Amino acid sequence: MEIMPFLIPIALIIAAFFIGGFIWMTKKGQYDDLETPRHRMLLEEDIKVTHTKEGEL
Amino acid sequence: MSACLHCDQEVIESYYADEEHLCGPFCCNGCLTVYNVINHKGLSEYYQIKKDVSFFKKRAPVELSSAQYSFMDDQDFITEYSYKGLNNESTMEFYLEGIHCLACLWIIEKLPEFVPGVKSSKLNMGQSVVSIVLNENGKFSTAAHELNQLGYRPHPLKINQSSKELKTKEDRSMLLRIGIAAAASGNIMMYAVSLYAGAGEEYASFFNLLTVLFAVPVLTYCAWPFYRTSWQALKNKTLSIDVPISMALIMGAVMGLYNLFTGVNENYFDSLSALVFLLLLSRYFLKTIQEMGLSTTDLHFFYQGESVLRANNEALNDFSEIHPKFIRPNDILKIKQSHIIPADGEIISGDSYVNNSLLTGESEPQKVSLGSNVFSGTLNISSDLVMKVNKINSDTRLGSILRNIENGWGQKAKIIDITNLISKYFVAAVFILSGLLFIYSYEPGHMKEALERALTLLIVTCPCALAIATPLTFIRTLSKSAQKGIIIKDDAVIETLSKAENVFIDKTGTITQNNLQIVSFSILHEPIIAFYDVIHNLEKNSQHPVAKTLKKYIHPLPYKDIEVSDFKETPGVGVSGIIADHHYEIKNNSIYQNSKIIIQFIVRDSIRNDAKESIEKLKAHGLKLKILSGDLKEHVEKIAKMVGLNADEFEAEMSPEEKNNVIKNSKHTLMIGDGANDAIALASADTGIAVFGAMDISLRAADVYLSLPGLSPAVELITISKETMKVIYRNLVLSLLYNSISVLLAFTGHISPLTAAIVMPLSSLTVLISTLIGTKKLRMIWK
Repeated sequence: MEIMPFLIPIALIIAAFFIGGFIWMTKKGQYDDLETPRHRMLLEEDIKVTHTKEGEL
Repeated sequence: MSACLHCDQEVIESYYADEEHLCGPFCCNGCLTVYNVINHKGLSEYYQIKKDVSFFKKRAPVELSSAQYSFMDDQDFITEYSYKGLNNESTMEFYLEGIHCLACLWIIEKLPEFVPGVKSSKLNMGQSVVSIVLNENGKFSTAAHELNQLGYRPHPLKINQSSKELKTKEDRSMLLRIGIAAAASGNIMMYAVSLYAGAGEEYASFFNLLTVLFAVPVLTYCAWPFYRTSWQALKNKTLSIDVPISMALIMGAVMGLYNLFTGVNENYFDSLSALVFLLLLSRYFLKTIQEMGLSTTDLHFFYQGESVLRANNEALNDFSEIHPKFIRPNDILKIKQSHIIPADGEIISGDSYVNNSLLTGESEPQKVSLGSNVFSGTLNISSDLVMKVNKINSDTRLGSILRNIENGWGQKAKIIDITNLISKYFVAAVFILSGLLFIYSYEPGHMKEALERALTLLIVTCPCALAIATPLTFIRTLSKSAQKGIIIKDDAVIETLSKAENVFIDKTGTITQNNLQIVSFSILHEPIIAFYDVIHNLEKNSQHPVAKTLKKYIHPLPYKDIEVSDFKETPGVGVSGIIADHHYEIKNNSIYQNSKIIIQFIVRDSIRNDAKESIEKLKAHGLKLKILSGDLKEHVEKIAKMVGLNADEFEAEMSPEEKNNVIKNSKHTLMIGDGANDAIALASADTGIAVFGAMDISLRAADVYLSLPGLSPAVELITISKETMKVIYRNLVLSLLYNSISVLLAFTGHISPLTAAIVMPLSSLTVLISTLIGTKKLRMIWK
């Protein structure tokens, strides 16, 4: 059980790190829109608009 | 039946993009046009993405409008609607009609690639709002025009910067509270479990301190909303479910801190912080689901979205396009055919028919000509008109109805929902029981133990299941209904709807389709010339609705052009002329040949397919029905008979105010309607349901919007609400049962933090399962 005084502070630091990160991200507006990003990630980045000439269908 | 390639709706009359009929089918010309535009712009990937998407599909109504958006370049308009975003770029937000799947997201966010001047375009799918950022030389009109061409009709949103920021701040703090409560209760559980498992003496006090440390932000910052609402309730001398929750939280905190200082290593922080987390979460979801529907403030701009033409000079040969917002009295406006009249005024040139049904409920279009008065919100049916504006905005008849609705909001009977009602008795019962327990366990000299047991009772009887169960049930019903196309604005609607007794239904557009049809066509004498030739040649150029209906009726027949001499059209009466030496006349729903009646026909608004069946089902629910219509008595009587209603079950020729009075004088009312003439009634009824195709203003007034045509979703909704309430009552019984167990354990002295840690989550789990199971009928509807 000598390991405990070492493990507990680590656990607390990790918890503080993630809570801090969460607060930071929320304040930055990362979670303002929870609906669209989950759809957006499914789209391929590199689908480009293929330009056609005027009048051509 | 196959589905439209563009909008996925059922195809009744097929349209194809090519002659070989390989590319299609499309349900309407609108979808076909949009398809061509999309391909033309090299965006054909849209259809590939759409094919792969099987979720998040709403029905996408595509209605092409010829709307031009040049008014968006007016400096007045830009200053009012756009704002400076990051890097000081001009930004405008639009509500888009028809956003329904992933492919929409793709095509809209590709806007900068094919529209010059657009820097970025970001879509929020939940709200169907796109924000467009422009380059220095970009124009909002170009972007809006392109969006419209793609089939998404844009409505510019006026952003109230401060209220928007306030809402963002609120949303963010709600998320922060949930996140912190989750993290803290997770950590507390680690240390609490080691305490329950019997951590060694050297660790126990340290772990106890840690749980207290983690619990501090949960019981202060995260639980703040509960304290605030409890305080408000107490200030108003009422009780809400938050009061017993706050009470338990505060007692728990007091006892935990007391134990910390007296060296007793036990507290209730694990149960309490998990409870705070679950409560916050369930309320957050309920809020999100409610916001999925259109918010009432957003609908403000809707009823005057389209641009109008304003004359620049007296000669009326130069018109420029302006936004309806900038119409002023005495302006001369040109109202194109099939456009909505944007202000009250007088006709100064042109003849046309105007459909007033949205304002008055009359199904028959009114003839207007020089000098006639026209009203904002009515539809110009047949030909272009020039009008002089008398009244604008809130001075118009439509505006005054709107004002009434806004007043009507406050007049709605206040509903105390069932959980808050119970909390009143609950708090009283818990206090009495704690007092009894204190007396029961009091022994001289052992004051402290008795006090502890009484406090413990207050903590463990915290009505967590009760508080979680109701939002949970509503979340499920609201989201499942939304998937079925029934958009419910507020969870309280479900409870009032389940109690409805008197149902009032509008006729035009609700029971009927607001679309004329020939229901009987009897030939009394065979005419000398085929009747279709007579109709075709006499009505060729007529825009009268009955003429249009007749033309549609003979459309499949082999009519041909024959010369007509002495042609006369008498507005309000009919048409006449000489064809092949015989005099023909069409008037009064009859055709005359040489002044002798030869054909009689009946034109009537057709009844929706499901109307009769739905009305029977409503009656089977034990509801009292009544049709309230602004239309003429004879029309209403016929329709009432057709759907199986008696003479005392309809009232005709009613003004919007009269409809409202009837509803005010009845109890437990439900109003189903669509037009602006129903809007006040929709707002003042206990529950107002706006049916598919309803006018924007009635959407604002209603509590429920049916996004699928017909009355049957309304019937389904009544069943849903009744069954949902059954689930809610069952959950109430279950959670009260758990609380009784806690009380029993407290009296027998078996209560401890460990039992609380078992009983509390168990009760929440039980109501969760009960909610998910629902009832047999609900399972059938949700399937």
